[in-house]
Formats: sequence, structure tokens, C-alpha cells
Amino acid sequence: MFRYNIKLALRSMRRNPIMTTLMIAAIAVGIGVSMTTLTVHYMMSGNPIPQKSDVLFAITLDSWNPLRPFDDDRPERAPHQLTYADAERLVNLAEGKRQTAMFETSLIIEPENAGELPFEVGARAATSDFFAMFNVPFLYGSGWDQGADTAAATVAVLTRQLNERLFGGENSVGRELLIQDRRFRVVGVADTWEPVPRFYDPINGGFQEVQDMFIPFNLTRELELGSAGSDWGWKSEDIETFEQWLNSESVWVQYFVELDSPRGREAYIEHLDAYVEGQKQLGRFERPMNNNIYDVMEWMEYHEVVSNDSKVLVGLSFMFLLVCILSTIALLLTKFVGKKGEVSLRRALGADRRTIFRQQIVEVAVIGVAGGLIGLGLAMLGLKGIIALYEPPPGLARLDWVMTATAIGLSVASGILAGLYPAWRVCQIPPASQLKTL
Amino acid sequence: MGFRPMLSSLMRNKTGPLLVALQVAVTLAIVINSLFIVIQRIEKMNRETGMDVNNVVVAYVRGFGEDFDTVSSIRNDLDLIKAIPGVITATISNHVPLSGSGSGTGLRTVADEAIEPTSTARYRWDENGLDSLGIKLDRGRNFYPEEINDYLPTTNLPAPASILVTQELADALFPDEEALGKTVYWGSMEPSTIVGIIGHMHGSWVNWDKLGHVVVQPGRPAYTTNKYIIRTEPGMRDELMPIIEQKLGEANQRRVIKSVETLEEMAASSYRRDRGMAIILVLVITLLVGLTALVLVGLSSFNVTQRTKQIGTRRALGASRLDIIRQFILENWVITTAGAIIGCALTVAIAYWLEVSFETPRLDWRFLPTGIVALWLLSTLAVFVPARRAAGIPPAVATRTV
Repeated sequence: MFRYNIKLALRSMRRNPIMTTLMIAAIAVGIGVSMTTLTVHYMMSGNPIPQKSDVLFAITLDSWNPLRPFDDDRPERAPHQLTYADAERLVNLAEGKRQTAMFETSLIIEPENAGELPFEVGARAATSDFFAMFNVPFLYGSGWDQGADTAAATVAVLTRQLNERLFGGENSVGRELLIQDRRFRVVGVADTWEPVPRFYDPINGGFQEVQDMFIPFNLTRELELGSAGSDWGWKSEDIETFEQWLNSESVWVQYFVELDSPRGREAYIEHLDAYVEGQKQLGRFERPMNNNIYDVMEWMEYHEVVSNDSKVLVGLSFMFLLVCILSTIALLLTKFVGKKGEVSLRRALGADRRTIFRQQIVEVAVIGVAGGLIGLGLAMLGLKGIIALYEPPPGLARLDWVMTATAIGLSVASGILAGLYPAWRVCQIPPASQLKTL
Repeated sequence: MGFRPMLSSLMRNKTGPLLVALQVAVTLAIVINSLFIVIQRIEKMNRETGMDVNNVVVAYVRGFGEDFDTVSSIRNDLDLIKAIPGVITATISNHVPLSGSGSGTGLRTVADEAIEPTSTARYRWDENGLDSLGIKLDRGRNFYPEEINDYLPTTNLPAPASILVTQELADALFPDEEALGKTVYWGSMEPSTIVGIIGHMHGSWVNWDKLGHVVVQPGRPAYTTNKYIIRTEPGMRDELMPIIEQKLGEANQRRVIKSVETLEEMAASSYRRDRGMAIILVLVITLLVGLTALVLVGLSSFNVTQRTKQIGTRRALGASRLDIIRQFILENWVITTAGAIIGCALTVAIAYWLEVSFETPRLDWRFLPTGIVALWLLSTLAVFVPARRAAGIPPAVATRTV
């Protein structure tokens, strides 16, 4: 019976090739456009670390100017980064299960042999917990241990790409790099790791690639590492030495803590308050107590990681899909008018309403699936276009299985939605009413 | 004859026309709002920068090693670059306008910390800075060479005596007075005197509402990364870029040439999101209008076929070809007008949603009538061809098939 339905559907579609093409095109374009924007939005607003997003927290301390808040538009917010000295002390207090202080910097890898060229790499200075906290996968070796943190050892973890570039992709653990006249030992090579959004640093860009390498945070002092990310200051301080800069009120270090469970939140804020209370005794932190912690998704919300443009595009493209569905309904209705004779005849020959209804729905579903498949192709094309336009990091504009399933579901749903009313209308045609005109 | 039979044929089958009217309405709402966004983005990208963007090259270099002498390296580099034929002049700057990376500060007209400072982008470059970017000084003077000091990361000189500000910043600081010659105060409460007013220039962050706020301090910043801004003779830029890169590379082996880029490319990448949005929306508009037009054509052609008998009968009863065309056009006009009315309400609703949720500017009302006229023309065009075919149906056809 089903095969007969399909056969009839195809025959009916062939009878009006222009109408059929238009309907399939309408659904295809609607699915193509809406799936493109939806995929980007889905990736932007996705949870980059679902296993742990509720136990990883970014922290903020209000060390800002006593006269005015950090952000005039949102006076309740403390600065989104910490001073170096505060971050250093909090890491040493080690109140959380794990914690990391970190910032972006850049280093020059110097050539070992004559004829080779030096080149600059992006690096992230972080403490040893970074890798375990953020589930960084390793291809070779591992992160460094706390001993290396304490000793400010010249060790490095490379990304897969940098390892590819420097060592041709082989196991480089134990190999050395010359950076700022010092020998850095490779202790680990991370496997492909592309968190989208790059949740641990939305401040310097939630949709950037992970830096080329990681080095211990405690090297900052010895190597006089500068921040390649943003820094904010409010206090006018005389800074002549690097040590004075590290002890200044400028905020440029990011801090994440991992707690045992989401319930540890209040206790941790109390710990921060106690720390700040101690600093207040020393004459710092003159603003009212305002320390906070944000879990990963709250932190994404805080930084408005999903762009407004993306939201607007999703809204507009779903209205586009609505137009496509309306088109399809109008086309189907018009087409069914022409089917009156055939339907009357089938009804007169004994087909009941359900049979007729099923026939129409099958026809619409065929159109929906065809449109959906072409639409999926268009969405892939659209995502290629997005990549060309925005040059996003890998992973942002990719149709994963969730989105593919959504696309197929959406197109079938659109097809059925479009087909229900016209099919119902067709069923209302009384048997034999049209036969006299045949 | 005209309205009555058309209306009655519309009323006989209400759903179809209603659907078309709805489709037209949503199309109108999407197109108008998208077009409005596109035009805003284009205007944003085409703002006057105040700089000779097309003839500027920007080179980033970074020395390494303990004994790297940044100060003398900068002097050598600038001499070397300026000696290249075709280069007008060059400067070193702490940041590059339009690049997205910059430094901000706050200025006050009174030395009182309690007063809210006026925020602005801050640059530091030498006496060739203005010329290197093709910026016009409106009045006052440029920096004198003797005012230019070297700034290492640890340099802690007092605030410079002389600074330049843009007219826009001057207006924000001194709303009703001439700013030239006035004193302003930095966060440290140190004073500086405004010695020159720049007519107009853009700062670093193209999405900032105070993009035209710029203050310039005299100096040669000698930080880790040295940023050179180089202006070339018109049309020479592209051929000079590899030469600049090569000469800089040869001058010193203990450093990395991070990039040699045009200012045009840097600005384009700062505006990438706006450009992307505009392109996507134009594509959406094109697809949508194309689809709606095709559907309208498809529907009316089908209608014509369906109504062959009716048309034939009318023709046989004396209706002229023009009457038939008029019937179809009128029918279409009623549907489109109904669509336009619903569409207007929908357009305003979407515009309101955009304004409230995303702080976009209010929709310009003139877009509505323009959109309706365009829609009306398009739909008339879409229906005209099938209507003419309908009019061509000979009266005899009617008698044959009944």
C-alpha cells in the first residue's frame, strides 16, 4: 500500500513539475537558510564542557577604584580579571579542588641552527591544574606537576598544531625549545582541543583558537612576561620595574576554580570575602565587598558570547522558513484544486477519507524529505560561506549529528505542517461531485 | 464590471488568497527590517576615517634576546623605511587606528578625581605621525621633534606638555569653548596642554560609540612589539610592501617580522562582522524576494489554467482582453494590499523586537512606503505575464470544454 502511495505521489508530482519544483525549492531554501544560522547559534551558545560546567567557576574580586565601579553601565559588576598579586596569592591558598591563574602572552621560539627563522607563538601562562580542570586531552606526555609550578620550571605543553610545525608531529616529550635564551623542555603535547566557545577566556575572544603552547604561570616574574590580552587599570601608579607592575592594581589575570560540587559555591565566596577582608586591612579593596563566582555558562552569559547578530539572524531566518511553509501551503492548496476530479473518482470507487488523506500526506512528506535533503546541502554550503566571511575557529560552523537530525526533523515537520490543511481540504471533496465534469 | 466578480471569486476560496497575503506580509517584514540593518552596516563601514587608509602599510616587528636594543633598532628601522623610494614618511606608534587593538584613557578638564573623566583612545607617535596616516590638523600645531622622547616599558616620564586631540574629543571636553590652548588632566592628575586640533580621525575600536575620541601624545614607544605606520605614494603601496618586509628582515636577524599588512586589510578585519552580516542579509533578501516572486507567478499561472473555462465564458459573454488582465491585476492588488497592511504591522513588531532586545536604532519610517511600493510593483510584474496569457484564451475554448 505504501509503495502504491509513493507511486501515486510521484506521479502526481510529475504532473505539475513546476509546482513540485517550487515546493521543493521553497522547503530547501527555508531549511538551508534557517539551519545555517541555527547551527552557528547552536555552536556559539553550546556548552563547551558539559561534564564539568557546573563545578568550574570564574572568579571576580572588586579591587577597583573606590570612586566609581568597573563598568558604569553595570555598577554591580566587579572587574572581570584579577591583579597579578591577588591571583598569585589565591593560587597559593589553594582553597578549591583545583585552581588556575592564567593570561595570554606571546613568545619567540629562537632557531637552534643557523638558517632557521625565529617565529612568534601565542602562549598561555597557567598553573598546573589547568589541564586537569579543563579536560585537556593529551597526545603525548602530560601537563607539568605542582613542583614545576613552585620551581617556575621552564617546561611547556604544545598544541598538536605547534608540535606538527616544530617536530613534524612526532612524540616530542623531552625535546627542548630555545625561548628568551632559556631552554624549555616539552612535557606534553595536547591532542586536538577546540572548545567552542573558548570558555576559559571569553575576555580576549570566545571564538579564537587555543594558543599554541602553555607554560607555567610562575615564569611570569623571571621572564618578565607581558600580557598579550587585555589589561585594565584605574590607579595612577609609578611603575619603573616589572616587580612594581606585578604588584600594581592593574587587572589582567584570569582565574578559574574547580569545586567538588556546585554546592560549594557559597563557601568559596566566603573564602574570597575572607581573603579580601585581609587585603582591606592593608588598605587595598576600598570598594564595598563584592566578590563573585560564575559557573561556565553564567560566565558565557556574562560576556555575551553569543553575538546579537547571530540571534537576529536566527529570528529572521525562521521567519523566512515561515514564508517558505506558507508558500508550500498555498501551492498545495492550489494544486489540490486541480485534483478534485481524481479524488472524487477514487472516493466514488470506494476509497475512504483516510486513504485519501494518507495519499496526500505521503505526497507532502516526499516533498518535505526532498526539500530537506537539498536544504541540508544548502546549509553545508551556507556554513562554508560563514567560514569564508567570518574565519571562525574550527568547530564553530560545523553540522554535527544533532544539527543534521534537527534539519531533517525540521524539514519533515515543515512539510507535514504545510500539508495537513490542504490534505484535510482534499478529503472534504464528496465522492462523485466532480464526476459529471469528467 | 471589475471589482465584484473578482471579489466574489476571491471569497469563494478564501484560504489560498489569505495564505498569499500572509506570505507577502512576512516577506515585507523580513525584507524591510533586513534592508534597514544592511543599510546601517554599510553606512557604518563607509564612515569617513579621517585617514589615508588606502596608502598606509603597517609593520609589526619584535626583537628578542637579552641584548636587543629596542630604542636604536626603532631609529634604524624608521630611517631605513623612510629612505625607500615611494615611502612618504613613517612613524612608530603604540597602537594602530582601526586595528581593534588600542589603549584607552580618561581626560578631565579639572584636576578632581571625583569628576567623571571623558574616555578616549590614546596614541603615542612621533612628529611624523599625522603625516604617516594622512591625518589633517585643523588648527594649532603638530609636535616638534624635540618633544619626542623614547618610552620603554619602564619609562616613567611626567605627562607630556603638548598633546593633540580630535575635534570630537575637544567638543566633549569643552562643549562651548575653543579647546586649543586649554589644559586637560590625566588619571594621574598631571596636566597637558592641547596644542593642536585634529579635524577628524577614527580610533582603534570600530564598534565603540566614541570612535572619534582620540588624544595623541608625542613619543616613540619602545615596547616588545614595535608597530610602524608607513604612508606610501598613491598606488605604490602594494609594490612597496615586500620591499619593506625584506629591508626590515635584513636589518636585524635577532627579531621577528610579525606582519606587514595594509591598513585597509586591518580595517576590513575590524569590520568583518558588519560586512558578514550585510552580505548574509542581502543574500536572505534576494532569496526571499526571488522565492516569493516565483511562488506568485506559479500560483497565478496555475490559477489561469484552472480558470480557463471561466475566462472563456467571460470572453464569450463580451469581456475584452483588457478586462481579463484587469481582473487578474486587481485580484492580485487586493491580495498584496491586504498583505501590505498585515506586513506593516509585522514590520513594526519586528523592528520593535530588534530595538528592545538588541538596541538597534529605530526603524526609519520611510522604509515602509518604499517597501510597499516595491512589493506592489513586483507582485504586479509577477502576475502580469500569466494574466496576459489568460487574456489570450479564445472564447471558443469555453464552449468546447463545458
